Amino acid sequence: VTVGGPRALCVAFCLATFPALAPWAAAEECAVPDEMVRAEVALPHLQRRLKRAEPVRIVALGGGSTAGAAARNPALAYPHRLEEALARHFPAARITVVNKGVPRQTAQQMLDRFPADVIAEHPALVIWEAGVTDAVRGDEIDGFAAALQRGLDRLKAHGIDAMLMDMQFSHKAETVIDFDKYLGALHRIADVNGIYLFPRFAMMRYWSERHMFNFDEVAKAERAGLAAKVYQCIGRRLAEAIAAAVR
Amino acid sequence: VPATTRDLRLDFFRGIALMLIFIDHIPENILAYFTLQGVQFFDAAEVFIFISGFTAALVYGRVMLTQGIFYAGAQVLRRAWQLYVAHIFLFMIFVAEVSYTVTTFNNPMYSEEMRVADFLGEPHIAIVKALLLEFQPTFLDILPLYIVLLIAFPVMLLGLRRHWLIVLVPSFALYAAIQATGFAVPAYPQGHVWFFNPLAWQFLFAVGAALGYAQLRGTNWPRFWRMLLPVAVAVVAIASLVRISWTLHGLWEGVPGVLLKQLWPVDKNDLSPVRLVPFFAIVLVVALTVPPQPAFMRSAAARPFLLCGRQSLEVFCLSILLSALAHFVLAEFASSVAMQLAVNMTGILMMILTAKLIDWYKTMGRTPVPLPVAGNGE
Repeated sequence: VTVGGPRALCVAFCLATFPALAPWAAAEECAVPDEMVRAEVALPHLQRRLKRAEPVRIVALGGGSTAGAAARNPALAYPHRLEEALARHFPAARITVVNKGVPRQTAQQMLDRFPADVIAEHPALVIWEAGVTDAVRGDEIDGFAAALQRGLDRLKAHGIDAMLMDMQFSHKAETVIDFDKYLGALHRIADVNGIYLFPRFAMMRYWSERHMFNFDEVAKAERAGLAAKVYQCIGRRLAEAIAAAVR
Repeated sequence: VPATTRDLRLDFFRGIALMLIFIDHIPENILAYFTLQGVQFFDAAEVFIFISGFTAALVYGRVMLTQGIFYAGAQVLRRAWQLYVAHIFLFMIFVAEVSYTVTTFNNPMYSEEMRVADFLGEPHIAIVKALLLEFQPTFLDILPLYIVLLIAFPVMLLGLRRHWLIVLVPSFALYAAIQATGFAVPAYPQGHVWFFNPLAWQFLFAVGAALGYAQLRGTNWPRFWRMLLPVAVAVVAIASLVRISWTLHGLWEGVPGVLLKQLWPVDKNDLSPVRLVPFFAIVLVVALTVPPQPAFMRSAAARPFLLCGRQSLEVFCLSILLSALAHFVLAEFASSVAMQLAVNMTGILMMILTAKLIDWYKTMGRTPVPLPVAGNGE
């Protein structure tokens, strides 16, 4: 963030002096319009378990950006950040977020992992991040949509709440990958099934357009730091969306 | 062979289809909401393949009837060869674009997933697969379909000469078998399939060819088809309303997406009947209600569409290039609505000007001009 002037100096000073304020500052840094995190859907199973003060498991199913290797440490990946943020939203609850990210998998390959990685975990909620690999490979859109639908049907049958998450945004990647139709399919699947889609793509574009982050011109040394920061933002925004849906 | 006046509808609608293909191929393009795919289950691809079958039967059918099947077949294969060369040319440009982008790519969050260019790691295989039409990057998928359809076309012509049922019955049987089994033609890299399944899309091309051949022989639309007109109008109207409700639903949740759960996703790879039936209905409506040379198609306003429709191969290839460029411009610089409109307009203008240039060149070549008489003749 490059802001000149005495105000910036003050902010830098305050951050250095009061580490307790740092989380607040970081949250402001990646703020998004309210409607992006206002999930107007219910998460009945999660809600029930929270109400009964039962321990809650959430499975984060996804690809490389769920695994979080770009940040060099699993504790910096978004699922762990989500767990931290949820602990602040629900101080009394015992919420565990399990990271089931495997890089370079299509929706179908993730679906094949359901028995071991999803059902066996007995989660109250699954956050399914999908679409990147399918778009990169240019796979047929119907197969992609059908795999998602089968997965959501299976979750429903097991009494597990579901959320979807779309791709990460990148200007450069957009010039060679056609994300548009995969985004469209994800949004429509969410719509048809009445579930919440966490609009990561739109959110990251929002940050990029407002120069909160620059995703395309990153020096080698700063890459892991940038990834960690973005994952933290994603975790926090996602926690807000979940809190909004449960309350 | 009865002399026929030129059917302007073919050029006109193919010209429009080419422009719509250009618009649809630019991702996140506001105008794409207003093309066929926003209001109909089918899109410009169906229009393009159908009219290509129709015109192929008109042009090469005439050659077959006057100069024999061998010469007609040779001409068809020559056309397929031209398409093949055009496809390889477009492929080279695609490789250039991808290798440039990938080597300048340094987004940390994507480094793991961004492997579009895996094929650059094994060029000896990728290039051979491209030459075999098995490697079809995004947007380079309709020419391979057109090429294999043309290669099979001489056989189709022979069948049409005997009876249209000899062609359409097996063609439909194959189409139905694909719908039932979902069989797809494998492609490269491993796990990919032909985007336009030629075994399904051949049926649309064959129907176009059968109708084109019937027009060539001067067959009139039988009374049966006229009786079907109200049904066709109803199908088009209902399909449009359903599809428009989906588009509006995508923009504004308050509008219900009628039958969305039941019908979506509509399979384009295998040319789902949900796409095909409304398309045939609209063909019937247009064929029966729009005369071959209506006044509006002879007006100056229709001329750009006719020009593009007549030079379809060149304009199509150009449109693929232009949509890749437009995508690049929008992603790299700005994607405001004004910019999107400007990019669309520029592209369409370039398509029209190119069609005009080619038309001028061909016309000049066709009209021999006698040498001005000089002083010392023979």
